Amino acid sequence: MAVHRIEMNNVSKSFGGVQALKNVTFKVSPGEIMALVGENGAGKSTLMKILAGAYTKDKGEILVDGKVVEINNPQKGRRLGINIIYQELTIVPDITVAENIFLSNLPAHNGIIQWSKLNQKAEELIQSIGFNINPKIIAGNLSVAHQQIVEICKALSHDARILILDEPTAVLAPSEVKILFKVLKNLKEKEVSIIYISHRLEEVLEIADRVTVLKDGEVTGTGIPKEMGKDNIINLMIGREITDMYPKRDVETGKEIFKIEKLKTDKVENVSFTVRAGEVFGIAGLVGSGRTEIAKAIFGVDPVQTGIIYLKNQPLKNKSPKEAVSKGIGMVPENRKEEGVILDMTVRENITMTTLKSISQLGFIKNRTESSFCQQLVEKLRIKTGSIDVPVNNLSGGNQQKVALAKWFGTNLKLIILDEPTRGIDVGAKVEIYKLINELSRQGLGVIMISSEMTEIIGMCDRAAVMHRGKMAGILEKDDLNEENIMRLAAGEDKNNGKK
Amino acid sequence: MAKNKQWAKKAFNLFLKYNTEFILLILIIVSSLISSAFFTERNIFNLLRQVSGTGIISMGMLLVILTSGIDLSVGSQLAVGSVFSAYFLTISSYSLPVSLFLAILICTFFGSVSGYLVSFRGMAPFVATLALMTITRGVAFIVSKGSPIIIDNPILMSFGNQYFLRIPYPVLLMIGIFIVVHLILRYTVFGRLVKAIGSNEVAVKLSGINVAYYKFAVYAISGAFAAVAGIISTARTGVGSPLVGQGLELDAIAAVVIGGASLKGGKGTAFKTLLGVLILGLIGNIMNLRNVPAYPQQVIKGLIIIFAVLFQGVKTGYENEG
Repeated sequence: MAVHRIEMNNVSKSFGGVQALKNVTFKVSPGEIMALVGENGAGKSTLMKILAGAYTKDKGEILVDGKVVEINNPQKGRRLGINIIYQELTIVPDITVAENIFLSNLPAHNGIIQWSKLNQKAEELIQSIGFNINPKIIAGNLSVAHQQIVEICKALSHDARILILDEPTAVLAPSEVKILFKVLKNLKEKEVSIIYISHRLEEVLEIADRVTVLKDGEVTGTGIPKEMGKDNIINLMIGREITDMYPKRDVETGKEIFKIEKLKTDKVENVSFTVRAGEVFGIAGLVGSGRTEIAKAIFGVDPVQTGIIYLKNQPLKNKSPKEAVSKGIGMVPENRKEEGVILDMTVRENITMTTLKSISQLGFIKNRTESSFCQQLVEKLRIKTGSIDVPVNNLSGGNQQKVALAKWFGTNLKLIILDEPTRGIDVGAKVEIYKLINELSRQGLGVIMISSEMTEIIGMCDRAAVMHRGKMAGILEKDDLNEENIMRLAAGEDKNNGKK
Repeated sequence: MAKNKQWAKKAFNLFLKYNTEFILLILIIVSSLISSAFFTERNIFNLLRQVSGTGIISMGMLLVILTSGIDLSVGSQLAVGSVFSAYFLTISSYSLPVSLFLAILICTFFGSVSGYLVSFRGMAPFVATLALMTITRGVAFIVSKGSPIIIDNPILMSFGNQYFLRIPYPVLLMIGIFIVVHLILRYTVFGRLVKAIGSNEVAVKLSGINVAYYKFAVYAISGAFAAVAGIISTARTGVGSPLVGQGLELDAIAAVVIGGASLKGGKGTAFKTLLGVLILGLIGNIMNLRNVPAYPQQVIKGLIIIFAVLFQGVKTGYENEG
């Protein structure tokens, strides 16, 4: 039998009494794409950090190419050819693509960078994985997908033989996922071993040769994804069956409470739609197509150039989020950690950020009122936390997102905008978020949901607008809401082309 | 063996948690050992009176630093407060309350200018307050025509040099301001938002809060506190001088940092800042008692700042691992 590229045998790790990994055995062959799935907190990241040398294991052994190794720091991991690409990309935005790729080993002669050689090497590397990005472009100007490609090239410049991708597609649009998969297949042919961490089982089924499922720090199954089947993998992940990914919502939609007419900002134009009370209105489209920019214009972050926004038939002129909030609009932004919550502050402090006025008197916070208010919301939203005085940083992604949502529950909202509400959170938490969205719509709110996941738009929304390159390509009614129609509009193929 | 190790870990954690307190305690013990004059009532209150000005401006500095800003103008503003209070008293012959009120108002105005530039014009706090630092120092020189203004107000002078229940008045004032800032940070909406803005300004803004208003306010408060410190200086010395407070902004920043606050904002307490002020004051005091010359004093002070902050580095690094 061929020697495994990576062999982790009976690896265990605990953090202050909490057993994060129990006797995990995980093997990857050369040129294999190995998926690693599991809910948040199942131990995927811990296992990978041990492999890359960011954490040290308590027990067990690691073999690389059949030889026992001790990987006690990231430098050691890198020398063995192990590279992690984290969910949060580590691109330096102000320098060029080529500089980013060769950041730690810039080709230099007597300390002076050899630009032509640098650019040439970068171009060769990018092309070798079947891509074409100008190495002289400033990296910050690239789309997220292209930044990810740069990140992969950076890993390859270290002669990466083992590439770990942590949720690589969480920020990608469907067409970009295809690009990434093409790159991964090219790498596979070059005998690079790829460990692919993802929440998206469709992707695992499509790209992975084998899959290992983790649950609560233990391996619950390993096999070939297509043979195991999606339902079986979900069972292994959560130990129960999810029959209804998208819980039903039986809400009579009411009157129209929100309307946008010919909105134009410096990022989007020609956006018009309405939202009714109790309706979940989706905004679909590729990353960078202007979805978030619509949200920012409504919420008063980006200035509106022309066009009118109505809330309950009153024209709105929001110049700041403060005004938007005072009129009854809430927003859960797409970047949870940077914009949605304050990581260093407690659950309590985060939840009441929007309602400080109502829980204070003469500027003093009423401690008991605040506590009971937060306690209620923590229970209602089933936020898993030791107490309300724990920093949000200690919570899992799904629970952080619930805190970002909880902020708006105590306010007098009429409309809530949810930008990628389930990005990077596990299946179980997703369903809970969906239930909360339904709960909000039941209360008569208008909900605008922006999402890159088409199945989510189809499963959750009553209607959806699709964006293409900063313009609204069309609105799809419930009956027309399917992947084919969304993709066609998102790709810019006009429905009426044939007819005219 | 394992038990021993656990015990050591616990003790180490305790030390890290209370590192500012420990450093102060060690300094107090060392001081009382090397100088018999240290633990006299006279010396202790002398020390406290010396740090009262720094203590007050450190409280303003803390608020600014919590929002992830910095205020370099407080030393010069102290001179403005000192000069104007003396000017209004002696040259304009205003009554004491009016003179002091106007002096505080003027510094609050200059603080507001910094605040306006930072929060409404998006200027970097370092740059805006650097500009205000030279502007206000200049104003102090212009108003006083470069020479000290002598005061003869008996109430103000006795405030600077007399005691209430054996505690010097300036010390009481410092304690009062400390308590106010402590309460603000602990119990008020304002305090919570100041810290929140320093932790994550964008998230606070997207929660519908007028971030600019709070950022503006902390600089105005910092200016007002600097004026109070300036008035204390006038009261103690009997002159309004444009030369006072040079470099004091750095002492205030050092005190806040020794107290464990992060220059990135969001982290820091009034109590620990007060400890930081005491640590700095103590270092100066004990070296004076031992007749250490001024130049080595500066070197030693710097080393102690490094030492104190290094421990905090250990602390955060340690916490991150878990």
